Amino acid sequence: MNSFNRHVLSAAVSAVLLGLGGLAHAENTIKIAVAGPITGPVAQYGDMQMMGAQMAVEQLNAKGGVNGKQLEAVLMDDVCEPKQAVAVANQIVNDKIKYVVGHLCSGSTQPASKLYEDEGILMITPAATNPDITHQGYKMVFRTIGTDDQQGPTAGNYIADQIKPKNVAVIHDKQQYGQGIAEEVKKTIEAKGFKVALFEGVSKGQTDFSALCTKMKSANVDFVYYGGYHPELGLILRQCREQGFDAGFMGPEGVGNKDISAIAGPASEGLLVTLPADFSADPANASLVKAFKDKNQDPSGPFVMPAYSAVQIIVDAIKGAKTEDPVKLADYIRKHSFDTPIGKVAFKENGDLKEFQFVVFKWHADATKTPVK
Amino acid sequence: MLEFFQQVINGLTLGSIYALIAIGYTMVYGIIGMINFAHGEIYMISAYIGLITVTALTVQFGVENVPLILLFTLAASILATSAYGWAIERIAYRPLRSSPRLIPLISAIGMSIFLQNYVQIGQGARDLSMQPLISGGWRFGSDAGFQIYLSYMQVLIAVVTVIFMTALTLFIARSRLGRACRACSQDLTMTNLLGIDTNRVISLTFVLGAALAAVAGVLISLHIGKINPFIGFDAGIKAFTAAVLGGIGSIPGAMLGGIILGLSESFASAYLRTEYKDVVAFSLLVLVLLFRPTGLLGKPEIEKV
Repeated sequence: MNSFNRHVLSAAVSAVLLGLGGLAHAENTIKIAVAGPITGPVAQYGDMQMMGAQMAVEQLNAKGGVNGKQLEAVLMDDVCEPKQAVAVANQIVNDKIKYVVGHLCSGSTQPASKLYEDEGILMITPAATNPDITHQGYKMVFRTIGTDDQQGPTAGNYIADQIKPKNVAVIHDKQQYGQGIAEEVKKTIEAKGFKVALFEGVSKGQTDFSALCTKMKSANVDFVYYGGYHPELGLILRQCREQGFDAGFMGPEGVGNKDISAIAGPASEGLLVTLPADFSADPANASLVKAFKDKNQDPSGPFVMPAYSAVQIIVDAIKGAKTEDPVKLADYIRKHSFDTPIGKVAFKENGDLKEFQFVVFKWHADATKTPVK
Repeated sequence: MLEFFQQVINGLTLGSIYALIAIGYTMVYGIIGMINFAHGEIYMISAYIGLITVTALTVQFGVENVPLILLFTLAASILATSAYGWAIERIAYRPLRSSPRLIPLISAIGMSIFLQNYVQIGQGARDLSMQPLISGGWRFGSDAGFQIYLSYMQVLIAVVTVIFMTALTLFIARSRLGRACRACSQDLTMTNLLGIDTNRVISLTFVLGAALAAVAGVLISLHIGKINPFIGFDAGIKAFTAAVLGGIGSIPGAMLGGIILGLSESFASAYLRTEYKDVVAFSLLVLVLLFRPTGLLGKPEIEKV
């Protein structure tokens, strides 16, 4: 390398360093990273999360922000890939952001949460439901959604008490979230004396399920529980119905999305889905729902209000604890309760909500849903 | 027993698609001895063109004649992807023709990543989906309530695959250009010395491979109805496996390999567990290569001195 190049390089390096230093000093905003899938097959859920968090930031800023500072939502795309989630978490650490709302998929939340715990960053996930996430003994990890060991029994009990099938198949996508909840459901229905005839995993991104449909049909399966997300279940429904397999189907909140009707069409009619209660139907949230509708957004998605609540809890804690130190905030959050759009919430020692309800909905071909009594 | 036949139908449908894509790998390998890793992306692009054309025709222009839509979509997709196939060869491989074998391989992987991102930026990274254009089918037999279902779409996939395979086989066996292709695959330098424009033949190979991948892409977007920019990777790996299984460089081998792969996946999920379908498919590949290193129908490579 000649000396001219070396000079240019060192000038460039120092410019970068100076630039970063400059940024660190110019902090008069409080940054909250919102991490989830913005692209990829399950980006629809990311939309719900981003929408809820951004609305919270906007409304709280309109009320004057926190301690005279404005909030800023920094959107980060993890594509629901564990690998990408770690890269995003590293970026959050490097950018010195102290609060995270996310991640969305359990599989990506788990590896990211380790970094947040180690670096003392406060993380509240509005969507990841796998129980393991809060069973790691971490102090910085919270969630504003229920867990699969609440959701699984809700689904399992409904199957056992209401449907009473003769021959159940439990299928999952081999991912942390899908397989986790499928196992919970299997455990619940087996405890109630029902036999699970088939317990099998499909692959994420698989598109041909015709062999599986034929297998379930010839095994005389009359009810199927699917643990996973909508792209696979949509195709399973479509291909199974086409083969004339007419068993009932049920899935967790990961399948409750408009796109399942776009993929499966008429085959999505009658699908049962366990979802958080529809917070947008709560009269206490009427003005918030109107704010979403004014922006042409749909507040009824399962993760919108939990994401809004996550941001609000961070802000309320900063105000209440009179500090911006995430470690002290985590302590404060554990000891206090908060009034949010998902109700009055308080946390257990491990970061889970003390109470959370899942409700069974019936899905319709026009992508609407109605609660099942 | 009826269940078995249903699984055969499922496997043949899957296998036909693999076979159509596998031919692109095998032809290129047969002539210039490289693996065109961007081939899966060609298939993905044609699935997009297929879905967009069908949606445009039915929704935008209100065309209701299904055979017309099908013919037009196939034609549009084949034309467009042939152009992609030609351009890829021209841009990414031809300048590297005389470089060591590894270089065009890396270039192919680069092209594959480029095309994925290119579609992702142009069309969005989300799934696109479409309702079936052709629905319905025949049901027959009844064995303790189990009926075989053969959909019109599955029949269409089989028929279209057979038509294009036959056309390709005739083209390679009978036409002048086909003869040139065969000559190139035997000895590229010698063919060149004999006055055949080998660059043109190589371009033609890419165009033909892309055209068959286009057929597969259109069929899959009609059959499955859900696509995203990443479907080319999985399909590409499976089709490449099919090509190796059948004997890379051999066109009938690619057809056979695709069918065997489709059937083995189908049977593995039916009689073992769905989790094992890829395990079985790839174990089969390893077994075949252990006993026949050149694949089922591949010819042992003659050392060229």
